[in-house]
Amino acid sequence: MKGYALTVALPKGRLFEKAYRALTSAGLDLPQPQDKRAMFFEKGDLALLLLRNADVPTYVDLGIADLGVVGKDNLVEAGRELYEPVDLGFGACRVSLIRRPEDHGPIRRLASKYPHIAELWLEQKGLSADVIKLHGNVELAALAGLADAVVDVVETGTTLKKAGLEEREVILKSTARLVVNKPALKLKAGRIRPLIERLREG
Amino acid sequence: MRPEGTRTYLGPEARAREALRSRLLHLFASWGYQPVELSALEPFDPAHPNAESAFKLVDKTGDVLMLRSEFTTALMRALAEAGALSGVARYRYAGPLWLREAPAELGRLREFTQVGAELVGVSSPAADAELLALAWEALEAAGVREAVLELGLPSFVRDLLEAARLGPEATERLRRAVDKKAVPELAELLDAYGVRGRVREAILALPDLYGGREVLAEARRYALSERAKLDLDWLEETLARLEPGIELLFDLGMARRYDYYSGLTFRAFSPAHGFPLLGGGRYDGAMVPFAAGFALGLERLIEATGAAPTAPERYLAASPEIARRLRQEGQVAILGHGGDEDALLAEARQVGARYVVFEDRVVEVEG
Repeated sequence: MKGYALTVALPKGRLFEKAYRALTSAGLDLPQPQDKRAMFFEKGDLALLLLRNADVPTYVDLGIADLGVVGKDNLVEAGRELYEPVDLGFGACRVSLIRRPEDHGPIRRLASKYPHIAELWLEQKGLSADVIKLHGNVELAALAGLADAVVDVVETGTTLKKAGLEEREVILKSTARLVVNKPALKLKAGRIRPLIERLREG
Repeated sequence: MRPEGTRTYLGPEARAREALRSRLLHLFASWGYQPVELSALEPFDPAHPNAESAFKLVDKTGDVLMLRSEFTTALMRALAEAGALSGVARYRYAGPLWLREAPAELGRLREFTQVGAELVGVSSPAADAELLALAWEALEAAGVREAVLELGLPSFVRDLLEAARLGPEATERLRRAVDKKAVPELAELLDAYGVRGRVREAILALPDLYGGREVLAEARRYALSERAKLDLDWLEETLARLEPGIELLFDLGMARRYDYYSGLTFRAFSPAHGFPLLGGGRYDGAMVPFAAGFALGLERLIEATGAAPTAPERYLAASPEIARRLRQEGQVAILGHGGDEDALLAEARQVGARYVVFEDRVVEVEG
């Protein structure tokens, strides 16, 4: 954003605390978000934006934020041209193909929060199926018969088992990544490059 | 309803676009670059770099056509068709391009305008230096503040990746990881493919070879092949020919389209804008033996520079003779449609003219 030396986009939710800590201990003097309902904070020449996970790549790609933290799952889903120089290691999860134990037939309908990842997987397997975009409770789509398979995030797998579903294939392993806007990495190398180096030493 | 990703321009915006476009073309012309006009309709060709993302139309013969999506390919094909590839030639162009797939976001339109220059029939550091200098002057002419030219050397990346001796698919995955500076993925891939030693070290260093001129010295340490060394020599000779004052950055990890670009590539950034304002490079052998060039994005330049030029003063002339005289003096004269003085004054207010010029006097319009 104009008027700030550096604008940082962080995801609200489960990645936030660790992302915030990683960046501050790497020397970035980020503002402390006091009011949890606010979305924008500033401190000195730094601005901090709190966004939904899936929106982080958009803000960084379009240069509103110079850098951000986002899960690899959302990064692949966004399909945007960003630099992703550091694997921050936390927020581990996997995006997997999930079906009911009794389902073994061809996949005709695939439901997912990640339609792009689902399409990429289908393409890679040489399969064709209708992909349905859902916004939550994706397991239900398989249980209720909306789709004959779903692509969803799995953290431990216990929720899945409880729901009576099976994880059939790991499509993508995800951890949190530092993402950087392409021109910003070059134009603000003086600030971003040392940050990347410290995060890598991490 | 207007199609997504298209715009129309009126008033100051249209004026700014016209002025900028002609300023850039005038600059290219003053460097000896010749005008070309290229058709917006092209035969569909699956080998075209934008074959997938271009707009397609069906001709009355049933043949598929594409809307022009890139000037360089169009120009090189036109030159090849006309048998106009002997000797050194300089070309300039300006016009709209169309891409079906580009999302309609900031600076990413589906219908956009580029102004560019190509230097054909010569391949040398001097030719590359000429294009860089011209690109820099174009940025100045456009009024871009704090512009930076960033230089890349995709052939250097290609040479290092080829040193790993992997198949095309593995090499392409490495290339993508290098281009995204995704060092974690890159390390994982190199492990998976069993790439070790100096080659691994060099490929892993690529994503971080960005910054000022010090990058070139660092790159020397990783130049494994004779060809990679020659690539760096070429780049340094090009730099030696540049006049001081051009702000330069380097990124030797830029790895886009290295099967197309044979040498130097470059783009321009400005802190005011999140996208490159200009892009170009050398593509010897891609379509013609020797050629390099660059293009500026008109919409992005306007966004990065902002200010629209003020409209020139307009005069309302009471007769055709007066109008002609004013125009000969270089003024903008609107021909008054007549009536008495009151009618002309009213008309002047309507068309935004500040003065009405009669045979014997000039009346300033009030309000």
